[in-house]
Amino acid sequence: MKKSFSYPIIFMVLITAFFTLVLSLLNYSTKDVIAYNAQIEEWKTLLYIFDIDYQEDDKEIENLYKEKIEAEKVNDITIYKAKENGDTLGYAFPVEGNALWGTVRGYAAVSNDLNTLLGIDFVSHSETPGLGGRISEEWFKEQFRGIDLTENNEGDYIEYRPAASGNVDAITGATLTSKSVKNMLNKDIEEFRQLMKEGLNNGQ
Amino acid sequence: MGNKKLKKIFTLGIWKDNPIYRQILGICSALAVTNLMLNSLVMGIGLIFVTSFSELTVSLLRKHTPKHIRMMVQVLIISSFVIIVDIVLKAYYPSMSKALGPYVGLIITNCIIMGRCESYAQNNKPLYAFMDGIASGTGYAIILLVIAFFRELLGFGSLFGYQVLGEWFTKWTIMVMAPGAFFMLGIVIWVARSLLPGTEEESMKGEAIS
Repeated sequence: MKKSFSYPIIFMVLITAFFTLVLSLLNYSTKDVIAYNAQIEEWKTLLYIFDIDYQEDDKEIENLYKEKIEAEKVNDITIYKAKENGDTLGYAFPVEGNALWGTVRGYAAVSNDLNTLLGIDFVSHSETPGLGGRISEEWFKEQFRGIDLTENNEGDYIEYRPAASGNVDAITGATLTSKSVKNMLNKDIEEFRQLMKEGLNNGQ
Repeated sequence: MGNKKLKKIFTLGIWKDNPIYRQILGICSALAVTNLMLNSLVMGIGLIFVTSFSELTVSLLRKHTPKHIRMMVQVLIISSFVIIVDIVLKAYYPSMSKALGPYVGLIITNCIIMGRCESYAQNNKPLYAFMDGIASGTGYAIILLVIAFFRELLGFGSLFGYQVLGEWFTKWTIMVMAPGAFFMLGIVIWVARSLLPGTEEESMKGEAIS
């Protein structure tokens, strides 16, 4: 039909411009909602690791978070302080490490005296669904609540059963993911405790 | 007349010419998201939306699109609609967006859409093209739901997240992993093909000629 050289080019430019315009308008109008959703996700994670009960309601989560948790920057990492009636309950900090298929990111929380692990949660991972992916299941994460960090040697806080010092069950069929999660938590908890102890000694 | 044509479009799209078990298109996502019925349902709705509106747009533009760049135009149209689905899910259904992960974006590469745009929307009026998109998308969604029904029931003992089988049930973990998807898809194609003996022979003849 149209044999001219310029027609296809003009046609393509016009149609691309049109769709780009539509998409950027949509993107612009939903930007805030999407950012808010991501924020709520993060707040939910933080409330969860401090074991603060919340209802599945965005407004309530926001209020609860603002009431109880405070973010603070220490040496380039953001740590979160949970307070109750003026007392500090504990600190949360980001954990990260490589597992079987990719990077696992999450948060862990320790008590005010740095001696008890309050809880952990994962924000993102790419482990096999049904196997390594089960690290984000409730039963696995709940095991980490209230682990005494003074019991085992420094840096070996988490140990899987049936080892003598074991305090957590690993996931059947996901040995490598379980191991990576253990190493990542042990390393990051150790680093965080060192950081906080130095901070305390410096009179902070 | 119009009704008859619509009826034909739907029987072809959903049953006789079903994209999954007849045309073996869209297999990747049919394997990937079918471990939960809810995921399959949302994926199906997403695909119905993208296929119907892409076909509508391709059909509207068919007289103005230069033939040799039509593929480029189709891909542009399809990807625009897929991004719309992606953004809407992220904004208003974030948990589902997280569950489906990269598969929403991969609707772009779903052969059903490109196939229908190329073979149907390119030569038919916009309304029929739109209906054809809905029919093909529905055919895809139904098969996804059938596969997901068995995978979720046997793998988790639940349907749409509600536990229907009690504690006594030993979960077949393999059903929610990749091999389970292959088994179920194979069985579905086998059953569907043995229920459609007549058309099977016709397509064999077609193959012999081509």
